[in-house]
Amino acid sequence: MAIYTVGRRRVIFALLLTCALLLTLDLRGNPVLDRVRDGFSRAMSPVESATDVITTPLGRAWNGITKFDDLERENQALHDQVDRLIGTQATARLSVEEYQELLALLSLDSLAGIPTEVAKVVGASSNNLDQIIEINKGRSSGFKVGMPVVNQAGLIGKITSVTDNTAKVLLITDARYAVPVRVLGAPEADSIPTNTNPSGQTNEELKDLVATTAGPSTTLVTDVLNTGTTLPQNDSGSVTVAEDGTIVTDPAAPGDEALKPTVGDTPIGLDDSTDLVVATTTTTTVLALAVKEFGALEGRGRGLIPQIRFLQDNPSIAVLQAGDLVVTAGGFDSLAPPDIPVGVVINRADRSGPGGPLLDVLPYADVTKLNFIRVVKYTPLSEVEQ
Amino acid sequence: MLAAIWQGPFIRLVPVGMVLLALQRSLFVEITIAGVIIQVVLALAAAAGAAAGSERGAIAGFTLGVMYDMVEGLPIGSTAIAMTLAGAVAGLLALIVADPQWWLAMMFTTLGAAVGEVMLPVVRLFTGVADPFEPRLTIIVPVVAIAAGLLSPVFVPLARWCLRIKRAEWVAPPREPAL
Repeated sequence: MAIYTVGRRRVIFALLLTCALLLTLDLRGNPVLDRVRDGFSRAMSPVESATDVITTPLGRAWNGITKFDDLERENQALHDQVDRLIGTQATARLSVEEYQELLALLSLDSLAGIPTEVAKVVGASSNNLDQIIEINKGRSSGFKVGMPVVNQAGLIGKITSVTDNTAKVLLITDARYAVPVRVLGAPEADSIPTNTNPSGQTNEELKDLVATTAGPSTTLVTDVLNTGTTLPQNDSGSVTVAEDGTIVTDPAAPGDEALKPTVGDTPIGLDDSTDLVVATTTTTTVLALAVKEFGALEGRGRGLIPQIRFLQDNPSIAVLQAGDLVVTAGGFDSLAPPDIPVGVVINRADRSGPGGPLLDVLPYADVTKLNFIRVVKYTPLSEVEQ
Repeated sequence: MLAAIWQGPFIRLVPVGMVLLALQRSLFVEITIAGVIIQVVLALAAAAGAAAGSERGAIAGFTLGVMYDMVEGLPIGSTAIAMTLAGAVAGLLALIVADPQWWLAMMFTTLGAAVGEVMLPVVRLFTGVADPFEPRLTIIVPVVAIAAGLLSPVFVPLARWCLRIKRAEWVAPPREPAL
């Protein structure tokens, strides 16, 4: 029989004090604890591998029983989404190339020059509070604490700890995550000429597609990240920037040849009138994504979407509203480079007092279904100069 | 000293804890109830308290919690505090009966696990997390606690084995010789 004594109480008290001591040491950074953690992770590695082999069929069977209907619905929704994305892909690719060309012209930083590396997600947080995933590459691949992590859709988090062969990634939905971001206005329909896009779709149609498919910039910027594309420099005068903010493209430029339809080479699904528009296009509109405001995006925990705080509401300059796009802001101290797509504003909540509005942001990336991710090996400017 | 280690609780508790941790991170991440991940390691800590009393329950909870923190990459001690309290509380509740039946042990394990799960955001609050009490906590705590209770018929004997606790045997006093 368990007997309650003063000695027992002392043992419990001593254990709690030990926990507090360990917690303090670890939060302040202790190399001994780091080594112990690394060693234990190594010891756990074979046990986890063996357990994975044994439990994977069980997990699949459970998912097969409990999530079959969800899977069917998701499959149908994905088919619909793919159909929509195919329609915008050509336009999207052209837009990002033009964007990169503009960056090159203006000597601005571009994501294309930053090395990245693909890693596989091998584990997720096993408690109900943290939003952390584990990936199968670590220090040996050049990963460091703080590096941003993206997938095809956009930003998904940052690395918070690394061992030789693994790393932990804190997701953007975790309550401890914060990153400086820019809020960009969605393109205004009335400021953009119509029927000037090579896809043959009007800008209003494109705007609808942006709204329904989480925005073309999602695919575009990460496409550049994925391939590390070296974009053409426009020193030959093939691309010029007009006063109204449009890019005037010379149809004779070699890089544009693939985009010019020829007689008898009608794209499927386009009617004659659309062909006419495409064939005569020489001016391509840049989507006018005006910077509205800077703020801090913060996660709020599992099941809740992140919010942007520290915004100044100044309607005379710009109105923050649902539909605005959110990208990373970069900056001297920021751990993430500028212009990584984050998400789209879906709700604005006004607060009384000087706090400014809160913006609910739906991330482009679905952090609940991650398989492969890409670590952006970015070093903040503040560390580069040291 | 080696003999003390060999005969102490750690020689069995640590390998069992490692296997449970691996299961927690693989199988039980997939098997969720109402979107809540069942905490089997916390369940073992609470079951250890129900089986062996508050002191050994706290020691088991501390050991399992430190292992959990090391594997999960959390600050060492953050989960250990919660699991220590889970084991201690389940053990303190077990004081009310000399040898709890399985259903009483189930109740003690349930309550201990509930305390441990509630303590997790409390500890996060002290480590600087802005708002760790998420609204789903009202679902998370009951699901984790009830799951721990349901696992207790397996985990209480397992904890007894790990901690080398022998079940109390009630022996009738010898008969007095007839005069």
